[in-house]
Amino acid sequence: MKSLKRVLALSMAGCMAVGVLAGCNNNSGGSSGGADDEDKPSAVGEESVDTSSVKQIYFLNFKPEISDKYDAIAAEYEKQTGVKVKVQTAASGEYEKMLTSEMGKSEPPTIFQINGPVGYQNWKDYCADLKATELYNQLNDKSLAVTNGDGVYGVPYAVEGYGIIYNNAIMDKYIATSDAKIKSVDEINSFAKLKEVVEDMTAKKADLGIEGVFGSTSLKQGDDWRWQTHLMNVPLYYEFKGEGSPITNCLNSETLEFKYADNYKNIFDLYTDNSCTDKKLLGSKTVDESMAEFATGKCAMIQNGNWAWGQVSGVEGNTVKEDDIKFLPIYTGVDGEEKQSLCIGTENYFAINSQVDAATQQASVEFLNWLFTSDYGKKAVVNDLGFIAPFNSFKDDEKPSDPLAKEVLKYMGDSDKETVIWTFAGIPSENWKQGFGASLLEYVQGNKDWTKVVDEAKSSWTTERQAAAEAAE
Amino acid sequence: MDKVIKKHFALFALPTLLAFTLAFLIPFGMGVYLSFCKFKTVNNAKFIGINNYARAFSDSNFINALKFTALFTIVSVVTINIIAFIFAMLLTKSIKGTNGFRTVFFMPNLIGGIVLGYIWNMIINGILLPFNATITTDATYGFWGLVVLMNWQMIGYMMIIYISGIQNISPDLLEAAEIDGATIWQKLIHVTFPQIMPSITICLFLTLTNSFRLFDQNYALTAGAPGKETQMLALDIYNTFYGRVGWQGVGQAKAVVFSIIVAAIALTQLYLTRSKEVES
Amino acid sequence: MADNIKETNDIELKKAAVSENDDDATEFEVDEETLRDNSSVWKAFTEGVEKEKHQKEIKAEMDKIKMSKKKGQPMKGVDWIKFAVLMVLAILFIVPILLVLMNSFKGKLYVSNNPFELPNSESFVGIDNYIGGMQDIGFVSAFINTLIITVFSVGILVLATAMCAWYIVRVKKWYTKLMYLLFACSMIVPFQMVMYPMSYVANTIKISSIIKMFDSNFVMPEFLAQPENILNIIVMYLGFGAGLSVFMFAGFVKSVPVEIEEAAMIDGCGPIKTFFMIDLPIMKPSAITVAILNAMWIWNDYLLPTLILPNDEKSRTLPMAIQYLRGGYGSIDMAKMMAMLVLAIIPIIIFYFAAQKYIIKGVVAGAVKG
Repeated sequence: MKSLKRVLALSMAGCMAVGVLAGCNNNSGGSSGGADDEDKPSAVGEESVDTSSVKQIYFLNFKPEISDKYDAIAAEYEKQTGVKVKVQTAASGEYEKMLTSEMGKSEPPTIFQINGPVGYQNWKDYCADLKATELYNQLNDKSLAVTNGDGVYGVPYAVEGYGIIYNNAIMDKYIATSDAKIKSVDEINSFAKLKEVVEDMTAKKADLGIEGVFGSTSLKQGDDWRWQTHLMNVPLYYEFKGEGSPITNCLNSETLEFKYADNYKNIFDLYTDNSCTDKKLLGSKTVDESMAEFATGKCAMIQNGNWAWGQVSGVEGNTVKEDDIKFLPIYTGVDGEEKQSLCIGTENYFAINSQVDAATQQASVEFLNWLFTSDYGKKAVVNDLGFIAPFNSFKDDEKPSDPLAKEVLKYMGDSDKETVIWTFAGIPSENWKQGFGASLLEYVQGNKDWTKVVDEAKSSWTTERQAAAEAAE
Repeated sequence: MDKVIKKHFALFALPTLLAFTLAFLIPFGMGVYLSFCKFKTVNNAKFIGINNYARAFSDSNFINALKFTALFTIVSVVTINIIAFIFAMLLTKSIKGTNGFRTVFFMPNLIGGIVLGYIWNMIINGILLPFNATITTDATYGFWGLVVLMNWQMIGYMMIIYISGIQNISPDLLEAAEIDGATIWQKLIHVTFPQIMPSITICLFLTLTNSFRLFDQNYALTAGAPGKETQMLALDIYNTFYGRVGWQGVGQAKAVVFSIIVAAIALTQLYLTRSKEVES
Repeated sequence: MADNIKETNDIELKKAAVSENDDDATEFEVDEETLRDNSSVWKAFTEGVEKEKHQKEIKAEMDKIKMSKKKGQPMKGVDWIKFAVLMVLAILFIVPILLVLMNSFKGKLYVSNNPFELPNSESFVGIDNYIGGMQDIGFVSAFINTLIITVFSVGILVLATAMCAWYIVRVKKWYTKLMYLLFACSMIVPFQMVMYPMSYVANTIKISSIIKMFDSNFVMPEFLAQPENILNIIVMYLGFGAGLSVFMFAGFVKSVPVEIEEAAMIDGCGPIKTFFMIDLPIMKPSAITVAILNAMWIWNDYLLPTLILPNDEKSRTLPMAIQYLRGGYGSIDMAKMMAMLVLAIIPIIIFYFAAQKYIIKGVVAGAVKG
């Protein structure tokens, strides 16, 4: 658990700093927001509230891939306590939109999710103070939470990692071919090596029984987060690492230099040039479809995170064995990347809607407590939801047993490697991500120059940052 | 008699007026006011003047949506009306099964926009499949997809209106023209068109406003993809409101501009074609 | 009075009908001059529906005459070509629906990879998509919700706006003129203009408490799943649909001569009785038009319920449920989507064939008025 703390502590230092910043904002804007401050409710759980009148709480789920798991958990909770948990899931890429419209309704979500400091800025009027909750107190590192002043407004619930997932069975097959470029996958420790291997594999794809080395680079709107957010994280991390937390640096940056744009292009081109899908069709592919390609053995590698195991094992006709699914870091050709590890962090923070009545807030917190501390809940978290949960209530043997989560834990335990922190929490807005994703699609279809993609990403960063600042005033 | 009825305001007019006030008048007034405000929720609106309008017009998404919507409206209005008129001409002749044809052509009109969008999404993706493309590969596909969808939905409706117009032409007029030795084309220009001017007014009005205000179909067919290139105004406004935190004021400003454009188009069109009606 | 109503005078009626023949068969308008005599006015009006029938018969006869005059035999060669062209077009129009139907029986992968292939032993999955899809989106409750909302909204809308339109036309005061103007203007305003504030209003107010201000005995109907939300949305539909409906009814009421109402009132009917006994029955053709136009709108509406109703299996409407299939379950399942599209289309088609005559007439009349 130590390594976990380390990673999170690093990434969370950023969030804390933001909390302080936000605090300043609040004070300076105190005159206009004065009314809000006065009736600021006390923290949830501080006073005992009778929750017996609460019949239903409403959880707006961010992760579509596990929506059915949550349904089962909600049913069990209702059976045990009589409180109905309404679980609704936003379609991929639609969370902000659904949250905005649901918050306006007469029965708004009571538990929702913010994606870190940027999300907190957007939703701070709706985030209840969670410092008195058991959930927060169980956090194995309190600095992980999203805070503002001495209030706690978002509690992380899952540490996640992503990289290039590969199917070891196919890699073994490749290594066995004549003049293979490597003798073991461990030899791949840089972009140059990765490229060499991938291109050789593409040449031999008929022998390997694959249609392409990489699964589809799903660029359908709403399904492009693996590229516009996750892959983007690598150049962002390298651009903003250095003094202080990369997240803080990224968040405070008015501009994006995109110093590592060429590195991004390296890996992105490698993905699309050696894909099992024609470039022209990438715009219609979903994450789900590309995971199915991987599961059915049409490709050997795919970029995704530990949450994807369910999407692989759940596919009908899955050929990937549990022992064969492994992670590689995302190499992009940056100097010294031999020591690079996976991208590990969290963008999942629970928040409680402060605008609903105290009893409902309390009941919502109780559900989360139950989920992360009761035996049934913990089992569901580990086995069904597959979270690496950062809470003391989880013992060392209560960790997800799925192969990808194990790999993430393994990488975290390797202190020689440099974890790529989730710097993307500092991206100015969802709109920036969408614009960048659309740009990537046009690039891949040959309708846009790479220089234009880079220029637009930079200029959009500046305008979106300004717009966000304006909105937060 | 006025006075007797007047007393019953509460029973006759109040329920509708109350609902109208709640659902339209208050929101409309709030909408106009909010377009000059910065707000996340209605409760904490702060007056900031025309800043939202400035931001709306400097938002490239909005300008693109405006262009796309205008182009789409022109193309679909023209195609729908021409095709619907041809259909109507074919169906006013004594041909077997006229009623059956009318029934079939009109049917798509009843299907809701969301359902229509998904039907055509499946079909167009299927057609583009052999060419290694989908409807979101290129904005052109999305554009023509929307045009085809809109034609499929609206042709039957407009056709029915044209039919009722054509049927009202007195046969004597056409006969007189025939006796004067007019060609089919001349009959069309000099007799049919002037006579069905009221139908043309209605059809243009309906296709114009429906195309310009299109939302459901756009949302289900492409949702604006690729990028935001096939996003029409109504969808752009929706996305500004619900997809971008802190942009609600801009969304409302866009909505006001949108309303003004719709009203201007509708009134100009009505004025122009109505004046033609009088002349004839 | 009642005797008067029942008594019919065939000759007068036919006269009225014939004089109307030139007009569009869908609207019932009466030339005021021919209706000076109260009793004949009565008959003409109370037999309004009958009259439509007469008109039709006459029209059909005239058509026959026209045809026999112009063409000796049924169809000539050119007409056969036209017929063939129309046939091809008709098939083109039906194909999209057939494609959806066909794909709804195929497995997920086959829908996206071979959408134009007939189901075969490999791709055929029977009604799995229907069962799975119905369970996923909670089809039955979505269907019932949509039905309840549509039926109640349309019912209330027709009645309330008919009354309102009558009041506005009959009471000529500055405020009724203003109301008329506002209603007319509201027709042109796009929904996006009021979308955000309207959803705020709808989610903030409690309609039941407003109703209770007028009727303290008001009790929420218990058979509805979430009465407050349904009530809210009905009120919103009444308010937002009022413009077009009032406008259409008003256009009709203007053509109804005041004399017949005056006669009724002289005979001792109050305004309420006059409206319900005399005006409402003769408004029937307009009411059908208004009802159909609004039913089509409300049944298919997506945005308004999305912004007002809670988004869960219990409360959704059909369009919301179908949209939720797009991504609320982790991925889009085109096969289930096709099955649900079929289920969404079937009621519309049934309704269409059952009420085809009224629907086509209704939309034309609606268009002419709007």
